[in-house]
Amino acid sequence: MIVKEFRELVRDRRTLGLLVMMPLLLLVIFGYAANFYVSSLKTAVVGPQASQVAAQLPPFFNVTVTQPSGTKADAETLLQDNKVDVAFVSGQTPVLALVNGSNLFAAQSAVAALNKAGNKVQTQVLYNPDLKTSWVMVPAIIGLILTFIGTIITSIGMVREREAGTLEQLAVMPIKPSQVILGKIAPYFLVAAVDMVIVTVLGIVLFGVPFNGNPFAFALGAAIFLFVTLGLGVFISTVSQTAGQAIQTAFFFLLPQILLSGMIFPLEAMAAGVRWIGYLLPLTYFTMISQGIMLRGAPITSLWLPFVVLTVMALVVFTGATLRFRRDLAPGRPASPAHKQPAAAESVSTA
Amino acid sequence: MTYSVRSATVRFGHVLALDDVTVEVPGGSVVAVVGGDGAGKSTLLRALAGEVALESGTIEAPPKERLGYLPASSGSWAALTVTQNIDFVAGIYGLAGEELAARRAELLDRASLTPAAGRLAAQLSGGMRRKLGFIMAIVHRPELLILDEPSTGIDPVSRIDLWRLASEAAASGAAVLMSTTYLDEAERAAHLVVLDGGKILVQGSYDQVRAGFAGVVTQGAAPVRPEWAWRRGRVRHEYWPGAAPPPGTTAVPPDLEDIVIALSLARRNAVPS
Amino acid sequence: MTGVLLRARQVTRRFGAFTAVDDVSMQVQPGEVVGLLGANGAGKTTLIRMLLGLLAVTSGSVELLGGVPDREHRRRLGYVPQGLGLYGDLTAAENLLFSARAYDSAVPALPPALAGRADVLVRELPLGAQRQVAFLAALAHSPEVLVLDEPTSGVDALARAALWDTIRGQAEHGAGVLVTTHYMQEAQQCDRLLLMSNGKLVAQGSEADIIGSTTAVAVRTGDWAQAFAALNAAGAPVMLAGRAIRVANADPGELHEVLTAAGIQATLQPVPATIEERMLVLAREASAS
Repeated sequence: MIVKEFRELVRDRRTLGLLVMMPLLLLVIFGYAANFYVSSLKTAVVGPQASQVAAQLPPFFNVTVTQPSGTKADAETLLQDNKVDVAFVSGQTPVLALVNGSNLFAAQSAVAALNKAGNKVQTQVLYNPDLKTSWVMVPAIIGLILTFIGTIITSIGMVREREAGTLEQLAVMPIKPSQVILGKIAPYFLVAAVDMVIVTVLGIVLFGVPFNGNPFAFALGAAIFLFVTLGLGVFISTVSQTAGQAIQTAFFFLLPQILLSGMIFPLEAMAAGVRWIGYLLPLTYFTMISQGIMLRGAPITSLWLPFVVLTVMALVVFTGATLRFRRDLAPGRPASPAHKQPAAAESVSTA
Repeated sequence: MTYSVRSATVRFGHVLALDDVTVEVPGGSVVAVVGGDGAGKSTLLRALAGEVALESGTIEAPPKERLGYLPASSGSWAALTVTQNIDFVAGIYGLAGEELAARRAELLDRASLTPAAGRLAAQLSGGMRRKLGFIMAIVHRPELLILDEPSTGIDPVSRIDLWRLASEAAASGAAVLMSTTYLDEAERAAHLVVLDGGKILVQGSYDQVRAGFAGVVTQGAAPVRPEWAWRRGRVRHEYWPGAAPPPGTTAVPPDLEDIVIALSLARRNAVPS
Repeated sequence: MTGVLLRARQVTRRFGAFTAVDDVSMQVQPGEVVGLLGANGAGKTTLIRMLLGLLAVTSGSVELLGGVPDREHRRRLGYVPQGLGLYGDLTAAENLLFSARAYDSAVPALPPALAGRADVLVRELPLGAQRQVAFLAALAHSPEVLVLDEPTSGVDALARAALWDTIRGQAEHGAGVLVTTHYMQEAQQCDRLLLMSNGKLVAQGSEADIIGSTTAVAVRTGDWAQAFAALNAAGAPVMLAGRAIRVANADPGELHEVLTAAGIQATLQPVPATIEERMLVLAREASAS
């Protein structure tokens, strides 16, 4: 029995990959990425004698913007657009330090450092005044749920046809591959949308998370992100023969997103060698959108980067998935030899 | 309208699944393809259905809207009811409203599935499930009907029903191509094709196949040459391709099973060139 | 070892309100091949599962090799289920090794035809070869009783003949074999037949016993397609055998009327009925009730 299970395991490359790669991945991630301590903060100094004030700041505050002619409103805009973590407004005593509360760990580090300055500096935390973790987590979790539904459940849904043997029938009928894909993901799109609304409402009601921004922009961002995750689900289904394989592959895509998208460990705190992975993940960009809109009320223009990246991802993933799917559905190179199902078992057939 | 596969060769990697195969399927008749597993039956059917690309050769087949296909697997969606299955497929082919309802009622009646109309496909017996797959394949009155082992593993009574449905389709003008491991079904076909290892061993009507069969089949308790003999009921049959059988052996008129087995043995025992 | 190998005594199995097996008594003796026939849903698989001890009886008793069908007795049993019970992702050789170790027997050698493919994964083998491997695995420990569920379904004529060679060979060595099949031709290869319908055992014995009092009429005509359509439309239990039309349990006079009304010339002749015709008649009776 032991020997047999070992033999089967060795042949099951996906499970093997998961068993071997996952611990390695976790080790690497926790080694290099898990870091709650932010080493430097992007800072702006706005107001008269901005450069002098900037020079006086300890190196922890990495001044990237100085605007001698700017006002407090300009400082707030910089924060809203997530260009900096801290903005100092000079020209009054004490100097006013505005902290971006939507970047939780950066904000915590900033507040800790600023408290040491005593009453030379007056600190005000915007967007998340109590620095609550839930306020930062809920927008990220919305994205996580969309990822979960999109990737895992879509991939199972598609693989079901392959397992049941009905994919062949669809292929012979006058129905286009794109129609099949759209028909298959529509229910999941709807379910995900409903789920998202429920979680958002619950987040607001239970945890008091604000919704300061434009709900239409939020919906648009969510829709594009959904397309990315659904496209990934379709793609996974085209490379999986069974539901078990589909779930394993989806899990492989899901786990890095949980750990490396900035949801748990801040991106800025990760070693550069691992941080780039975070920038490849769709959830990273959706979290930028959801946190920006919900907490900072950020305008859509300041979020152009994540929107564009997600749109490009959606197009790439969907095109790839449709092409692969077409290979399965339409004639061309035969994907695999026709092999008979062993024993004409009545209602269940295995591929 | 005659549909066909001409000089078709199909390769999957290193495996030659079909080797220069030509089969015609005239409208109004049933063509049966027989052969062992790996002989190429499914590949031939899938090639005609447009599911598999040819390395060389041509296909004459109607467009998808005029083609009906029953794959070797279940042929229906398990989580849908019988009615929902039919409606889904009929919808894809453009049937709707009253026309759809009438057609559905007619097909359920012909397949004796009316009492099970509300049942989930997964809860049907194998024979009923296959019949459902069949009527789904003909819901749009296709000109070419392709059935991949429709009756394998199905009880004898459902098999009779399926054959009746196929005959009715042919009688209304459709060209029907089906594969089967049941030789009695092949005997009933207007034209039968025997495949082995991707090549056609013999094809024609049953009479033609019998007439064209060379050699003698004898029957006895023990075989003279074991590699040319096989069990048939309580006795053994033996095939003598060229030379006359030795005296003392009893010749029997070969039926289709004898012919198919004899030809397979001839191919297997032939000196590889 | 003599004595009954498999026995069912008035076995009944109910699932809620549904009676799957109804008061069935049967037995299998050493050296005989018993064929179990019946439509899907007739109760064949349920009966087999009770005989093997995989399912409890609602009433009645079952015996396997003279005792309760437990693991000890199952050691001397060979079983090939419909799904073959092989591991698709292991090779043929590995499957045989596993099964030999499980039964504590010698590893069977693959026949020359398969020896070259011993290292091919079972799911890549053609169905006939898979069935052969499944057989070898079931026979390796020299079982005294064999239970085979549709052993030749989907297999071509030559491979079927080879499998039956193996089955009869086992019977000749003293094993008892219980086989379910849908190939009526194979039913003729059995020593004894059991016919189940709707959970009951409706007939047992020789082929003649199974056919019982069913009659048939052969209709020979030039327009077989039209004749078939006309008789079918009239509701007659029509069948095709070769190119001849057969009608079960029919009155030649009535058939003649139907055909004449359709303008078809045909000769009608009473012929011996077949097992399939008996099953067709049973199915009609079941759906009519």
